[in-house]
Amino acid sequence: MIAVLGLVVGVVAGLLVRPEVPAVVEPYLPIAVVAALDAVFGGLRAMLDGIFDDKVFVVSFLSNVVVAALIVFLGDKLGVGAQLSTGVVVVLGIRIFSNAAAIRRHVFRA
Amino acid sequence: MSDHEEKRAEERADTRADRHDDRNEPGNRLREELPEEVTSAVPAARAAPESRPEPEPEPEPEAETGAPEPQLTGRQRLVEGLWPPRVSRAQLIVAVLLFGLGFGLAVQVASNSETDSALRGARQEDLVRILDELDDRTQRLEDEKQGLEKQRDELENSSDQAEEARKQTIEKERQLGILAGTVAAQGPGITVTIEDTKGRVEADMLLDAIQELRAAGAEAIQVNGVRVVAGTYLSDSGKGVAVDGNKINAPFRFKVIGKPQDLEPALNIPGGVVQTLEKEQATVTIERSTKIVVDALRAAKRPDYARSSSR
Repeated sequence: MIAVLGLVVGVVAGLLVRPEVPAVVEPYLPIAVVAALDAVFGGLRAMLDGIFDDKVFVVSFLSNVVVAALIVFLGDKLGVGAQLSTGVVVVLGIRIFSNAAAIRRHVFRA
Repeated sequence: MSDHEEKRAEERADTRADRHDDRNEPGNRLREELPEEVTSAVPAARAAPESRPEPEPEPEPEAETGAPEPQLTGRQRLVEGLWPPRVSRAQLIVAVLLFGLGFGLAVQVASNSETDSALRGARQEDLVRILDELDDRTQRLEDEKQGLEKQRDELENSSDQAEEARKQTIEKERQLGILAGTVAAQGPGITVTIEDTKGRVEADMLLDAIQELRAAGAEAIQVNGVRVVAGTYLSDSGKGVAVDGNKINAPFRFKVIGKPQDLEPALNIPGGVVQTLEKEQATVTIERSTKIVVDALRAAKRPDYARSSSR
C-alpha cells in the first residue's frame, strides 16, 4: 500500500513540479522508465507468486535502469542508438507482457 | 506491490519454491529472473526472521493458513498486501523506488507532450523530410529575397539616375539659358562704351563689334539693356540703331562677359573695330572688370517651325 502510494505521489510530484529534463539525461530517461516498469511488473508477479524479496526487487530495479541506460549510451556512441533503443524496448516489452500475463492468471485466474 | 506478505511468503518459500517453479516455469520461460529470485528468497527468508521485530505474530497465522490453506491465491495476496497498509522496510524501499519511477514517468510524459512533441516523436525519415522541406523553403525565400533586393537596387539606381538626369537638365537649362538670354549672367568681362557725337555709327559697325566680341569668346552680351543672342538682328533706325527692334541711341554701352585678356585685344587689333570706329570720329573706351552683370533678359520664344530632331 505504501508502495502504491509512493508511485502515485511520484506521478503527482512529476506532474506538478514539471522539472526541465537535463539534456544529458534526456535520451536515457524513456528507456530507464521502461526498464523500471519491467522491474515493477516482475516484482508484482513475484509478490503474487509469494516469492517477493525486497532486496531482489531493489537490485533488479536499479540494475535494469542502469543497464538500459548503459545500452542506450553505448548505442549512441556506436551510432546505432535508435536501433538499440528499439531493441531494448522490444525486449522489455516482451518481458512486461509475459509478467502481465502471469499477474493476470493470478488475479483473474484466466 | 505490498510485500507485507513477504514474511509469510519467505517462510513458505522453501516449501513452496519448488512448487512455484513447477507451476510457473513451463508457462513463463521468458521470465529469466524467476529462478534467481526464488533462490535468493531462500536466504532472505532465513535472514528475515532475525531482522524482523514482529516475527512472533506471524507464525500462528502462518501455521494455521499454511497447512489448511496451502494454496493462498495471488489475488488474496494482492488484497492482503494492499490492505491494511503496513509500514515496513521493504514497503518503504519499494515506495521510494516507485516514487522515482512515477516521477520519471510523469516527467518524461510531460516533456514529451510539450510544444515540440511533433518533432520529438517524429521518425528519422520524417525528420529528414521536414528538414529538406525547410531547406527548400529557405532556398525559395532566399531567392525571393535576392530578387526583391535586386529590384530595390534597380529602383534606387533608376531614381538616382532620374535625379542625376534632372540635375543635368537644370544645369543644361542654365547654360542654354545664358546662350538664349533667358537668364541673367555674371562673370569677368569688359565694358565697351562707344561715344558717337556725330551720329555716324551705324548698325553694321555695331554688328562688326559684336561679331568680333563673339569671335573672341564672348559668352553673354548686352547693349544698352538689350540682350544680344543668336537671333539678334541690328538695323539702322533714323539717328540710332535698332537691336531686335528696340531703338537705342549713342552712347552704345556693351557689357560683355568673357575673358577680358582676349576680348580687349580683339577689339584693338589694327584695322579692327576700334580703329574703324575712331575713323568715324567715335570714341571707344574699354574697361576690364572682374564682375560684369548681364541682366537684360529675353523671352524664350518657341520656334514655329524648327523642331528638335534628337530623340
